[in-house]
Amino acid sequence: MPRVKIRELRDDYARFELRDTDASIANALRRVMIAEVPTIAIDLVEIEVNSSVLNDEFIAHRLGLIPLTSDRAMSMRFSRDCDACDGDGQCEFCSVEFHLMAVCRNDETQDVTSSDLISSDHTVVPVDYSESAASIDEFRGGITIVKLRKGQEVKLRAIARKGIGKDHAKWSPAATVTFMYEPEIHINEDLMESLTLEEKKEWVESSPTPVFEIDQVTQQVMVVDAEAYTYDDEVIKKAEAMGKPGLVEINAKQDSFIFTVETTGAIKASQLLLNAIEILKQKLDAVRLSEDTVEADDQFGELGAHMRGG
Amino acid sequence: MEHGSHSDQSKSTFSLADEDHTFANSMRFTLNQDPRVTFCGYSIPHPSDNRVNIRVQTTGDPAREVLKDACHDLMLICQHVRSTFDKAISDFKKSETVEIDDSE
Repeated sequence: MPRVKIRELRDDYARFELRDTDASIANALRRVMIAEVPTIAIDLVEIEVNSSVLNDEFIAHRLGLIPLTSDRAMSMRFSRDCDACDGDGQCEFCSVEFHLMAVCRNDETQDVTSSDLISSDHTVVPVDYSESAASIDEFRGGITIVKLRKGQEVKLRAIARKGIGKDHAKWSPAATVTFMYEPEIHINEDLMESLTLEEKKEWVESSPTPVFEIDQVTQQVMVVDAEAYTYDDEVIKKAEAMGKPGLVEINAKQDSFIFTVETTGAIKASQLLLNAIEILKQKLDAVRLSEDTVEADDQFGELGAHMRGG
Repeated sequence: MEHGSHSDQSKSTFSLADEDHTFANSMRFTLNQDPRVTFCGYSIPHPSDNRVNIRVQTTGDPAREVLKDACHDLMLICQHVRSTFDKAISDFKKSETVEIDDSE
């Protein structure tokens, strides 16, 4: 049965190990995290006034890409499935309304940012990046939507809805989700002994990432960070070039994965994984409980005939 | 949608709509773990069609039942991963707060 161990956990970043499971399960998790965990993003924009330098659809496109805090997303309904609203998909159960009003009245260029968006639901707001680890000055104040000169104005109303990454990338909560096989590195100590210190240094340096190091005290080559190994075979090629094949043996453990999950801030990294598992379970339920045995149509009939040897 | 013969329930192809590799590959793996399965594989007839064909052949049990059991097994795996992850998060948070206390 699978085991999980967390290495690092921050609000928008998680690194953990998943053991004793198969690559297909790990990949299914990765795919669901990227494409099928629902979030909330702006989907409909009504522009009342726009005298800025960007045209209407440009601004609407940028608004859609702004990440919104989507903790409500899992419990919300899709607009198309909502029966409470009068058909236009804008009721309080399936959508969140935003307003943006900005006028530039002074001589300085005014920056209209995501923090100027006013939400009708205080739990769904543009993600605030000003507290994150990378607190560069540009991030304070939010994501720039458009810049205004004196006299230019933007006034609009936007509706945000629930959606999944498969439909449009604006709904994907994941910045990057990757997993790698855990490497198993064995150094052949006898062969290593036959190298001079210079040769050892050269060999250690041939690796593009800092996997090995020479211990100052014992002058031995040690594995300092096995997971920095990116499965390029540079050290293996270097060993062969130096005339010492088999100096090191590196295997990928077929059932041990190291996941790195980074989110846009819409959902916490830990929450993203939990939601992904929830969605996978929902898919399984849908298939398990479907009772239909619709008879094959013509196209499928050919397939069946082919498989029966017809 | 199941495509099989009425006389031999142990061999069948299931055509699932609105699914892709995410679901099909993990199902294929779980089906292979079941000792009753003699053959199982999946294919995607055309990348533009959102459809997956899963073929299951068993040692005698109806293929439909075996597929449902595999869904159930995969569900248990998911639940296990979830509870393991929940526990790992609370362990991690506990160890973090302990460190903060120690340094004060």
